[in-house]
Amino acid sequence: MGHLTRETLARLVDRQPSPEEAGHLELCAVCAGELEALRRQTEALGDLPEIRPPVGDWQILEARLRSEGLIEVPGLLARWGLAHTPTWMRTAAAVLLFLGGTGVGAVVTRHAAGPNAGAGEMSQATFTSATSLDDAATNLRRAETSYVAALARYRQLLARADTGQTAEDPRSRYAALEYLVAASQAAIRQAPADPFFNGLLASTLAERDVTLRRISASGDNWF
Amino acid sequence: MTETQLIRQAASGDGHAVRALYERYAPRVYAVVRRIAGDDELAQDYAQEAWIRAIRALPTFRGEARFSTWLHRIAVNAALQALRKGETRRKHEGPFPDQVAEPPKGGDVLLQEKLERCLDRLPEGMRRVLILHDVEGYTHEEIGDVLGVTEGTSKSQLFKARARMRDMLEALSDDARDTGVEVWGT
Repeated sequence: MGHLTRETLARLVDRQPSPEEAGHLELCAVCAGELEALRRQTEALGDLPEIRPPVGDWQILEARLRSEGLIEVPGLLARWGLAHTPTWMRTAAAVLLFLGGTGVGAVVTRHAAGPNAGAGEMSQATFTSATSLDDAATNLRRAETSYVAALARYRQLLARADTGQTAEDPRSRYAALEYLVAASQAAIRQAPADPFFNGLLASTLAERDVTLRRISASGDNWF
Repeated sequence: MTETQLIRQAASGDGHAVRALYERYAPRVYAVVRRIAGDDELAQDYAQEAWIRAIRALPTFRGEARFSTWLHRIAVNAALQALRKGETRRKHEGPFPDQVAEPPKGGDVLLQEKLERCLDRLPEGMRRVLILHDVEGYTHEEIGDVLGVTEGTSKSQLFKARARMRDMLEALSDDARDTGVEVWGT
């Protein structure tokens, strides 16, 4: 009997040999060695490791799942990167934002009486003290609304200053921005890596610098 | 959180729960799909399709089988159906490409790389049966179900595939002898 074919030996990896095949394997070291090699190959295939998907695979999948409505669109907290922030930190941040927003609103409203004072008045919305996550989220939304309104008012004042329509008090604006910077910095101390607070601080600092340059250019500087 | 809770939350559209399931099972899903596809680019598409199908079907998961088994079946079917649709992989024909010099690797890692390379070069029919049987542990009956072939065909393809793999590994081991790493020399 000649050597067993590889295909036959491949069958014998997990099948019983016929008496003739068994007899040959007892006598033929080449075929016995080949069968052993095929067994090891099969074992090694069974031990092949898992394979990690390419980097960025989850982000693509997440976008697809979202576009098909299979996962929820992240809420306000998640979009602000606050979804995993501890509750006490969220509450503290909401309070700080509230203080910042109210402070800005008070300053703006005081110095912005007249037909365009509405935006400033929005900032004086009252907030209830957050006692739950939902309350804190509501406060954050309202604080954001106040902030946006205050910012709109700043831009309004800035535009009018550009066209020389009116001479608003830049020092009051600067003071309000300083207040907002301090509130943002306090919030960042509570949540240092938070993208929303860092963005808020950056934009407030930029606004403050613009205001400072205007004060400086107008010769109305007191420093 | 238990897997059952994760599954329930994922079924209700909780993105964090879906992510947690993905983190847990993505390597297993990707591995089987990659080996069936025999191509990295196709594998990513197939794996994504498998996950979309699985998340879509999550509300119907009753826990009668293990979640990993259920997911694995979905992944295998997604890859096989995509291949049937004609999304063919790049052909791996001809001799093995020259190897770029790489740092020395452990025997197991080197062997696994060789096995993966040889798997990629097997003809489609043989590769699918070999992967499902020897890598994933399917029975011939199960292979017959998912591939739509008889058990006899499955067995025949398996033995041919094992023999072909052995041929290719032996060819590779000629090179390996030069570097001192052999693949089960006879």
